[in-house]
Amino acid sequence: MLPLSIKDDEYKPAKFNLLLKLSGWFRSILADKTSRNLFFFLCLNLSFAFVELTYGIWSNSLGLISDSFHMFFDCTALLAGLAASVISRWRSNDSFSYGYVRAEVLAGFVNGLFLIFTAFFIFSEGVERALEPPDVHHERLLPVSVAGLLVNLVGIFVFQHGGHGHSHGDGGHGHSHSPFNGSLNHGHGGHSHDGHGGHGHSHDKHGGHGHSHGGHEESHCHNELQRSEGSSKQILQGVLLHIIADTLGSVGVIISALLMQKYELMIADPICSMLIAVLIGVSVVPLLKESISILMQRTPPSLDNALPECYQRVQQLQGVYNLQEPHFWTLCTDVYIGTLKLLVAPDADSRWILSQTHNIFTQAGVRQLYVQIEMAAM
Amino acid sequence: MEEKYSSNVLSGGKLGMVEVPDSRLTRYIALLILSKILKALGIFESYDILKVVHIVQFIFILKLGSAVILLVFQKPFSSGKGISKRQWIKLVKHAILSCVISLLGFFGLTLCGPLRTLLLFEHSDMVVLALLAVLFTNSGGGPSKTRGAAFFIIAVICLLLFDNDHLMAKMGDHHPEGHHDSALTHFLYTTISLLGVADHKGGVVLLVVSLCLKVGFHTASRKLSVEIGGAKRLYALDNLVSAVVLLPWVVVLSATTESKVDSWSSLIFPFGMIIFSVMILEFYVEAVCTAKMEAPRCARYGAFALFLSALMLANFWTHPLTDQLRSMSKPPQQVSTEHVLSGGVIVSSVFFIMASSILSSPSNKGQKGTLVGYSPEGTPLYNFMGDALQHTSQSLPRFIKDSLKQILEEYDSRQIFYFLCLNLAFTFVELFYGVWTNSLGLISDGFHMLFDCSALVLGLFAALMTRWKATRIFSYGYGRVEILSGFINGLFLMVIAFFVFVESVTRLLDPPNINTDMLTPVSVGGLLVNLVGICAFSHAHSHGGKSCPSHDHGHSHHGHSHGEHSHGGHGHSHGGHGHSHGSGSRGMNANMRGVYLHVLADTLGSVGVIISTILIRQFGWLIADPICSLFIATLIFLSVIPLLKDACEVLLLRTPPEHEKDLNSALEKIEKIEGVLSYRDPHFWRHSASVVAGTIHLQVMSDVVEQRIIQQVTAILKDAGVNNLSVQVEKEAYFQHMSGLSAGFQDVLAMTRQMALMKYPNDGTLIM
Repeated sequence: MLPLSIKDDEYKPAKFNLLLKLSGWFRSILADKTSRNLFFFLCLNLSFAFVELTYGIWSNSLGLISDSFHMFFDCTALLAGLAASVISRWRSNDSFSYGYVRAEVLAGFVNGLFLIFTAFFIFSEGVERALEPPDVHHERLLPVSVAGLLVNLVGIFVFQHGGHGHSHGDGGHGHSHSPFNGSLNHGHGGHSHDGHGGHGHSHDKHGGHGHSHGGHEESHCHNELQRSEGSSKQILQGVLLHIIADTLGSVGVIISALLMQKYELMIADPICSMLIAVLIGVSVVPLLKESISILMQRTPPSLDNALPECYQRVQQLQGVYNLQEPHFWTLCTDVYIGTLKLLVAPDADSRWILSQTHNIFTQAGVRQLYVQIEMAAM
Repeated sequence: MEEKYSSNVLSGGKLGMVEVPDSRLTRYIALLILSKILKALGIFESYDILKVVHIVQFIFILKLGSAVILLVFQKPFSSGKGISKRQWIKLVKHAILSCVISLLGFFGLTLCGPLRTLLLFEHSDMVVLALLAVLFTNSGGGPSKTRGAAFFIIAVICLLLFDNDHLMAKMGDHHPEGHHDSALTHFLYTTISLLGVADHKGGVVLLVVSLCLKVGFHTASRKLSVEIGGAKRLYALDNLVSAVVLLPWVVVLSATTESKVDSWSSLIFPFGMIIFSVMILEFYVEAVCTAKMEAPRCARYGAFALFLSALMLANFWTHPLTDQLRSMSKPPQQVSTEHVLSGGVIVSSVFFIMASSILSSPSNKGQKGTLVGYSPEGTPLYNFMGDALQHTSQSLPRFIKDSLKQILEEYDSRQIFYFLCLNLAFTFVELFYGVWTNSLGLISDGFHMLFDCSALVLGLFAALMTRWKATRIFSYGYGRVEILSGFINGLFLMVIAFFVFVESVTRLLDPPNINTDMLTPVSVGGLLVNLVGICAFSHAHSHGGKSCPSHDHGHSHHGHSHGEHSHGGHGHSHGGHGHSHGSGSRGMNANMRGVYLHVLADTLGSVGVIISTILIRQFGWLIADPICSLFIATLIFLSVIPLLKDACEVLLLRTPPEHEKDLNSALEKIEKIEGVLSYRDPHFWRHSASVVAGTIHLQVMSDVVEQRIIQQVTAILKDAGVNNLSVQVEKEAYFQHMSGLSAGFQDVLAMTRQMALMKYPNDGTLIM
């Protein structure tokens, strides 16, 4: 930023400032592929909801109005994802010394929770209806739900595609879907094994990126790589789940509407909705579990196996007596931070121990490590 | 009926858990299951036959048939040692007893129907013995067995009380007149009617009694079977003798009463099937399986298969499709009165299955030692040491007692728990009253209350979980659970507020007619309950505020105050944790705030309902209801935002706002410490209410003592509120040293990179 004169500042009207801010946000949204996709889909969804709402008010149909409100509620998930993907790219400042990267985890968590709520409501509604099937007006149901399905299908396509394009953007790891991924990875050096083993849990479409951790000679370029892609996984997962849930809902409505029209099976509607609710609930559980474990500062599951080995190696260093209070946790996707205290002999070479410890844990994939060295009393 | 006698004495079951690979046992298990299914089929068939054939005749035919077959197979007279006269007398006694028991069993079958008979009568000896041991002795075998016994009793009670079999009752009215053709049945009927219970319930009691008799009889006959020379021989002889014993009675019966059976020839096939499946096959398969597997396992699989197949058969036996199939083998004058499947039967069969699987599971108590392995010679080694200490399983009552104690220990969880109890009690009263008066509104309101309770349960669980010790996996402890729970509760309230908002908007456009009669008493009750909750929780809060009055000044420079809300004070408690680390926060933590807000929202809801009801009644303003709910939704929304904001900040690892100033001055102080060149990556964040964690890198001159600096820095930061700190001290010479060591190219590369980073300590990329 160039220094501006004080007078300039005074003359700047407030409105303009807001506009500037808005355009800045807009630019930052469009800068990243994930947030761009999210934004476009949000616009699509919102316009659909508005069309539905206006049509509902115009034709005075309560069902359409409430459905459009439901759509708005759905949009909140997208909005949360979008906000998170923008926020997570904010610079760190004094207050948020780690930056805002955790926003993505939080967004995933919130999305998951919303989905669980939705599933619960649908389920209870379904039970209520199963006990006492209401008269459903299925004439108008079909076109609306088909349109919703189409919108959601677009969404699924976009995000699936986004996921692919995204993994292409990983630079050298474009082959992330190829079966020889592992062998490629081993070429990085003797230590890549750890990193590879550690990422066994990662999801298919992002399978590639974890490998870059393996060789620490690349550790610098992580920063850029990670930034562009770390912001995506949890958000994308949450949003995708949400859209899939919506799609399932539309499909269920369509099927039950067809069943009701053809065979007069009134029970089809509640059964469909209950099934969908269960499906949503089950599919959300992994996301929730993962984000809760990150938010609770759990030791990263991918490091579960690697860490004891690392402790062993550190304790075998010359002069190290003991290793205390190891804390390892996940900052955001695949960024692990650790702190530990080493009790060393009074005459030990603390600098050497420090660097060796850093080496050992960097190989395991820990990005930031804080080692407090304490000399044992004589 | 007569299953194994002594076979489980010889089986491997008592010698410890010798695990045989499943693949070898699969055929036996399959065989067992098949035989059990056939047996269930046979019992169902015999129920049909018993409608036309007299019970004594039926049993006679069964005994005779199986005796003939067994004589052919076993050859009890030609093989083995001879039988003395005393043994013959014992055998006759034995046979008479077995006749009585089968008589009782089959009579119960006519009363209860096949499904209930199978459920009640076909338990293996081990299950019943374990049950009796639990009921009548002190050392029943641990809490799991007690649980099993409880399940069993619940199942029987279910069958007795909740099995509303209308057909059964109807049949019971006609039955006595129709079938009173023998002295025995007449006697039994009068005994049952003396008990004063309905017909099939009498059957249930009869079956339970005869089950106990059967087990006792089996246990008693073990000695005899050893004397005679094997269970199989005894079984064969027993069948023969009982057929002989029954012969005179059958002759008298057939002479005095006219038979209802048109053609005995049509019954030959069903009889053959019953004899084969119930009497012969089951006996042999059971004997083989108990020899090959452990008895408990055998009993478990058998019971499982039997009960399940009985349930399936009961479902399909009267189905029109199977009717056609069976019409060729069955007498045509089949009366279409069948015992239906009721909810009680299904519940009780589930309980029976659970009970038999629990009761038949081997208990370690009996062996007085646990298998620890095998010696080189192959003999099993047992550990007898831990018997006194070891729990077979967690006892349910003890678990409840423990968790109750934990809950009541702490103030927060105690408050939540009491309020939860109150809420649940109110809910159940409402539900019961709703069911009683058959009012749908009350019931749905009750369910809504139950749903509300989930927030309380979540809060309670979080308050409990917060106190868990840190583990290897959760190295900072579980303190964050309360923040997460507060966050979830807040989100939850947001969603509810949103839905209420939407609902009220739609109602605003199209005000519905509300039935206001029922609303007031219920909502007043709910309001009272919630007011109690608010008092309790806000008391908790003000109490917390009082206990640490010194935090008031901390609050004054506390960036965001929540003063505009009724619960404005809660910010205080946050001001203070830093200064009183380790003591934990007694004030309003995120969890309690979430619960409190939830209760507050409920209270607002009740108030709104009451107000709008009054307005609608007095003035007929139907619009009052949606406006009230709009207002309430907005209020909830606004009051939740601070909570959400705080929780988000914690979850996003923000530097605790109330420590920010202290920390900044502390960092300045650190820079002034002698020998410190600079610092980088200072991260401070609140993990939970009581833990503020921090990490920092320090660059120091090469000639200072690291320990002194670490101590100084730790002290300074501790004053600023950080109680979980790690300081990494780096000396300048560190890097030259690293490159001097031939630690390999990569290490040096990493080091130089780190050094490059250190030159720009404010570079944002560091964090990523």
